[in-house]
Amino acid sequence: MLSQWLFYAFATVSVLGALGLILSRHPMNGALWFVVTLVSLAGLYSLLSASLLFALQLIVYAGAIMSLIIFIIMFLNIQPADIPDEKGKWAYLLGGCLAVIPIGLLLLKIVSSLPEGDVDIVGNGFGQVKSVGLVLFRDWLLPFEIVSILLLVALVGAVVLAGKKEMTQ
Amino acid sequence: MIHDYLSLSILLFCLGILGVISRRNVFTVFMSVELMLNAANLAFIALARLHENMDGHVLAMLVMAVAAAEAALALAVVILLHKHTGKVDTNVFSLLKG
Repeated sequence: MLSQWLFYAFATVSVLGALGLILSRHPMNGALWFVVTLVSLAGLYSLLSASLLFALQLIVYAGAIMSLIIFIIMFLNIQPADIPDEKGKWAYLLGGCLAVIPIGLLLLKIVSSLPEGDVDIVGNGFGQVKSVGLVLFRDWLLPFEIVSILLLVALVGAVVLAGKKEMTQ
Repeated sequence: MIHDYLSLSILLFCLGILGVISRRNVFTVFMSVELMLNAANLAFIALARLHENMDGHVLAMLVMAVAAAEAALALAVVILLHKHTGKVDTNVFSLLKG
């Protein structure tokens, strides 16, 4: 029962963080709310016995990617006058709810047709570094290499885009 | 219990869509896209736990790598556009002509 209570706690916190992200006016507040969501998602991963993904979510997502985003938000030095005034925000939110709720209900219907399972901790190395690494390097070797090339291309592209001195005419 | 995890993933995904279509701050839009990627990750890991099969974990790791690449490139583009226009408004960025 403890895992069930932990799930409800983490789920509530992650939904609160997501709401804070899409409702807060300054992007810095939104980024900090989003870190809350990411950390509680890491807790949910650990409840699903994915210990490697738990560590990666904390290190890569909440650590590296979010610190990059927060660094860029601070680097651009956004003043309150630079933030776009979103007059139609609530109207767009309402219209978006009308558009999204049917899709969500459809997806919930699909989910309810799946078999139900319990989420007890599984043994024999499920989700740990060795077993995930074996799957990664046996069955997913080609996607892994393609992702490494993608990261290299993104690195070079980011340096070329952001490091330009002046735009040529 | 798995149904609860998948329902949470759907809820987070819908919140991400709402953030993308209702906000004009480019950082908020970008982080809402990241929220949708995280919701997909949660669904992958919940289904991996349901089938006791670790392919979902590997897919979630690949999604994280793609999110990192996307963050680097998107933030570079945002810096470039902010240099040009001095704004972080997606309506201003609708004209990408240099």
